[in-house]
Amino acid sequence: MADSIKCPVCGENNPAGQEFCQYCQSRLQPITGSLKSPDAPIRPGQAPTKKNTAELEPVLPQWLRDARDSSRNNEDEDVPQSSQKTGKTRPAAPAEDLLAGLQSQSSDGDEDEMPDWLASITGTAPTPKKNQAESSEARRVELGDKNDFAQEETSDEDTPSWLAGLTENKAQANEKDELTDWFRNADDFKPAEQPAKTPPADDTPDWLRRMATADEDTGKAQPPSFEASANDFPPPAPETPDWLRGIEDKAQSVDSAVFAESTAGESEAFDPLSSGELPAWLNDQAENAAKRAQDTTPKWLKNEEAGMPATGELPAWLSSSEDTVPLPPVSQKNADALGDLPDWLKASAPQTSIFEQPEETPAAEVEPAEASFDSPDWLNAFKDAETFASDEPAPALEKDIPFDAPPAFAGDSQASATDNLFTEMPDWLSSAMELPASSSPTPITNADAIAPGELPSWVQAMRPVDAPLPSPFSSFSSDQTLESRGALAGLQGVLPAAPGFTPTSKPKAYSIRLQATDEQQAHAALLEQILAAETAPVPIASYSSLILRASRGLRWFLFFVIFAAVTFGLSVGAPIFSMPLGVPREIGGALNVARSIPENAPVLVAMDYEASRVGEMEVAAAPFFDQMILLKHPRLTFISTNETGSVLTERFISGPLAGHNYENRITYLNLGYLPGGQLGIRAFSLNPRAASPLDMSLQPAWASAPLEGVATLSQFAALVLVTDSADAARVWIEQTESTRGEIPVVVISSAQAAPMIQPYFDSQQINGVVAGLYGGAVFEQNNAGRPGVARNYWDAYSLGMLLAMSLALGGGLWNLALGLRDRASAREAK
Amino acid sequence: MIFQPDLITGVISFIFTLLIFSYLIGDNPLFRIAVYIFVGVSAGYVAAIALWQVIVPRLAYPLVFGSMNEKIFAAIPLLGSLFILLKVSSRMAGVARMTMAFLVGTGAAVIVAGAVMGTLIPQVGATINFFDLNAAVAVGISKGEAFGNGLVVLFGAIFSLVYFHFGASPKADGSMRRFGLIEIAAWVGRIFIGITLGAIFAGVYAAALTALIERIASIINFFSNLFGNF
Amino acid sequence: MRVITAFIAIASGVLVLGGYFFPALAGVQTLLLNWAIILAGVAAIVGILNLTSVHMDKIRRGEKGSAYSALLIIGLAVTFFFGMILRPQHDVMQMVALNGIIIPVEAALMGLLTVSLLYAAIRLLRRRTDMMGIIFLLTAALLFLGSATLPFGDIPVIGTLIRPWVSQILALGGARGILIGVALGALTTGLRVLFAVDRPYGGT
Repeated sequence: MADSIKCPVCGENNPAGQEFCQYCQSRLQPITGSLKSPDAPIRPGQAPTKKNTAELEPVLPQWLRDARDSSRNNEDEDVPQSSQKTGKTRPAAPAEDLLAGLQSQSSDGDEDEMPDWLASITGTAPTPKKNQAESSEARRVELGDKNDFAQEETSDEDTPSWLAGLTENKAQANEKDELTDWFRNADDFKPAEQPAKTPPADDTPDWLRRMATADEDTGKAQPPSFEASANDFPPPAPETPDWLRGIEDKAQSVDSAVFAESTAGESEAFDPLSSGELPAWLNDQAENAAKRAQDTTPKWLKNEEAGMPATGELPAWLSSSEDTVPLPPVSQKNADALGDLPDWLKASAPQTSIFEQPEETPAAEVEPAEASFDSPDWLNAFKDAETFASDEPAPALEKDIPFDAPPAFAGDSQASATDNLFTEMPDWLSSAMELPASSSPTPITNADAIAPGELPSWVQAMRPVDAPLPSPFSSFSSDQTLESRGALAGLQGVLPAAPGFTPTSKPKAYSIRLQATDEQQAHAALLEQILAAETAPVPIASYSSLILRASRGLRWFLFFVIFAAVTFGLSVGAPIFSMPLGVPREIGGALNVARSIPENAPVLVAMDYEASRVGEMEVAAAPFFDQMILLKHPRLTFISTNETGSVLTERFISGPLAGHNYENRITYLNLGYLPGGQLGIRAFSLNPRAASPLDMSLQPAWASAPLEGVATLSQFAALVLVTDSADAARVWIEQTESTRGEIPVVVISSAQAAPMIQPYFDSQQINGVVAGLYGGAVFEQNNAGRPGVARNYWDAYSLGMLLAMSLALGGGLWNLALGLRDRASAREAK
Repeated sequence: MIFQPDLITGVISFIFTLLIFSYLIGDNPLFRIAVYIFVGVSAGYVAAIALWQVIVPRLAYPLVFGSMNEKIFAAIPLLGSLFILLKVSSRMAGVARMTMAFLVGTGAAVIVAGAVMGTLIPQVGATINFFDLNAAVAVGISKGEAFGNGLVVLFGAIFSLVYFHFGASPKADGSMRRFGLIEIAAWVGRIFIGITLGAIFAGVYAAALTALIERIASIINFFSNLFGNF
Repeated sequence: MRVITAFIAIASGVLVLGGYFFPALAGVQTLLLNWAIILAGVAAIVGILNLTSVHMDKIRRGEKGSAYSALLIIGLAVTFFFGMILRPQHDVMQMVALNGIIIPVEAALMGLLTVSLLYAAIRLLRRRTDMMGIIFLLTAALLFLGSATLPFGDIPVIGTLIRPWVSQILALGGARGILIGVALGALTTGLRVLFAVDRPYGGT
């Protein structure tokens, strides 16, 4: 392959190094011999130069933004396109297309007003068969809003500046903007304008042949693009290029053309030979327009006709009828062009060769044949757009056209935008070739390229890149979004995000990583360790059946030993053990209280113990009450915060105190159950009358004799707590601390609660403690020798305690030795 | 044979005592029968007590026989009581939360005030007052004994509190250790805690032994009464 | 609902707490506490209802042990029935329910604890040989011995000197430390409830 060069025009192979095709005389080598600089045009297959175009975003024309908004608004809609005459459907605009609204606008009931070249761009010719096969490669251009072409109703003064470039009456011939330049280049490809080099039939450019083939394949359906009548064209002027004249000549004889919509819905095969000097597509266009003779020329084209008296004032691409179109001295016009250039193009201009290339390249080198190679991709896309058109569904145009967006080419209101429209037009024109059929941008491949040729540098700058590198340069906008679809696909930072929805600042990043210090991690690990240890199963391998059996045997042994000792102690008629002789301080305090309360004084007794400790509590409390009743005959008022305390009180009175003949509501009163625990105690200490208005027999409590003259807690002579719980004692002490005043408090408790009640005695919050059987025995011992239950129990109790001491101490030492032995053996085993 | 109520009580009591003691040979149906019956009887008894000693005198009585103010004030707890009863229904349990919130809120306040005013301040003050040697002399305790006891109680209280301080920092080997002085104080506190728990253990054993004595004594009395009647 | 319950808890707590320090709020405190008394009594009934429903379900489903549940329900119903008729303090109720069943069962269970405690004391040093275990056992044994007497009187030194000193001085230090710790714990727990940090009433 390196030995030969394939002619991009005729497809024949030529020897390497051949400058012109030996068959079609087309230039094989691009005229960029001197452009080997980085500004050299891009060739097919060459990786496009990455251009930073983000800085162009602020100067993006308003119409483009509007068109983009319009397309966004109609993202999910298929823009209907229909032919006004044939009724054929036009391809719907892809929702994501930037210029979607343009086409819909153009087809708003007056489709024939669409310029031919625009119509061809849109590729509205429905070619079902072909398109189904080539849809993936089809491209098209969607035009903007329906009002985008509102200038057709406007006067010439409203003609957009980009159209002004087509009209001579604007006297803008010397305004060689970039469009005219490259249009001129595009015009140069016409082989008909080079009689000496008139190509044979097979000299037709590939893309034209492909277009013809496509039309043949698709048969009848043609894009309804060019409906402009030949009458709409101005009469041929001496300066009128040949191809324009050809349009008029053949307009009456050609029934249909490739780019014209046939009224019968049929299209003839493209015949490049019949086009004479003109490219076939232009020939057919003219013929078709002439045949129908309909005034469907858009108004802006009419204006163009009226203002096209001379080719000298035509744009270069229209007036390039010469064999060779010498490029105007761009260097001279460079400044003007730069002056007309928008800023965003200025930004890109220095990087391109569009203004510098002419200086470096002689005009002679700009061969017409090369123009075909130099065809911009937007022309290249025509052939694809046409095949693409039928791919898309074409619903009714009037139905779904997005009209909301402001017109891209609005007249007065958009005057400033339209003035610059033409200069900014290449933005979408150049990207028309890139309109993808799919949502993702189609990479530029060799198949899309006609031939290596010059690409205007500004187009080069606009060309999409596959993987745009992040620009190290600052851009005008912070929006660096890479456009993935639409005309600006591949460009980065060109379009701003939707106004109002653009985040003004970078969202704050929240780390999902747990923010914990090492110390916290350590604590968490420790907590996990503790939890794991709590839930970890404890192996009980050591509890073999033998051990369990031994354990049960030990339990039985203990029970029978204790049972025997207690039974013996209870059964022995004569006392074995002496009653305790010493009087501890706490018991001495209780004795003092029992002996010091006033005669017949009201005494509040809180009976808070469980039935399980009835035996112990009654033994402990009986001597105290016995002595107190004997000495002082107090009026007892019982209350209980335990559910069964009230009935245990009755049992206590009818049992150990039965000998005193205390009667309900006369010498004693049972207020019953006081629920609520601390709440009840606090309520009772605050206002006993309110907390317990009735006694256990539902009689008014505070009118009874035992409570006569008592309204508050402090009016009792003493408070006696009979409880088996340290918590109950604590609660009573705590909650009555501020309300009981100076009344003495005696706690008769179980032996198990005594250690925790002792601090309250030490702090003098209570005046005496009688704990368990030992305390009862001591109290009984100091009760004037009156017999009591304590004495009956004491032998058994002493035996049981001595036995417990012996077993605990002996067994403990024995097991200590066993444990040490086990550990020693375990260490040895390890 | 003369019918005596005490004899019936004695028989029942004896039977249930034996059923419970049968637990020594392991968990058995007899033990379970006794326990289940005990739970049922206790619950029924408590329910009767709650109705007769709480609902009737404190709620129903004011609503029926009380003055207008008493009726109004009783209506609110009546509403709360209905809310609590809805706790039985899983769907309406949320309503009961309001009543429970009231109980918890008032209970928390009572606990806080009681702990501060009834335990914290008095106990701290008592620890300090242990060194009031003149007061000790007044109650017949020598100054040296009072001072020594005061030191023991002071250190015991402090070290015991330190023992319950579980704040620790990780060491290089990964183990968690308390600060050195804290560790020493906690070790001393463990001794005091051990002594206190030993005393409590002895008290629990004494209470259990007394209960056992009472049960065995009741059996002896039952048999003595039983055979004495024949 | 969460806000309401938290508000109720906080408001009632603050009012009751204020009653301790401000006499003007004593009346409100009394009123709220009296309401709480009634509600607590109702809560006990609700607990019994729940117990009943659980065992009724077991009987209805015929689960294992439903016969025991039947015994429980029968005992509950009978006791409640006669308790409502005769009232709890009636002699029959006391003799049968209290003296015949409740006290013997509870006391016998407590008596069984004697064996368990002694067994634990014997086996303690087998499994835990440290300073605390030894001191624990020595203290218990000392108090066992000091609580007993001899036929001729208290055990010398131990019963008259060491035992009182241990139980009133040595144990007092640890007990005071525990009490202060309990009070601090109760204080913090109560404050957490009052600040709605903890919502044991189901507000979390």
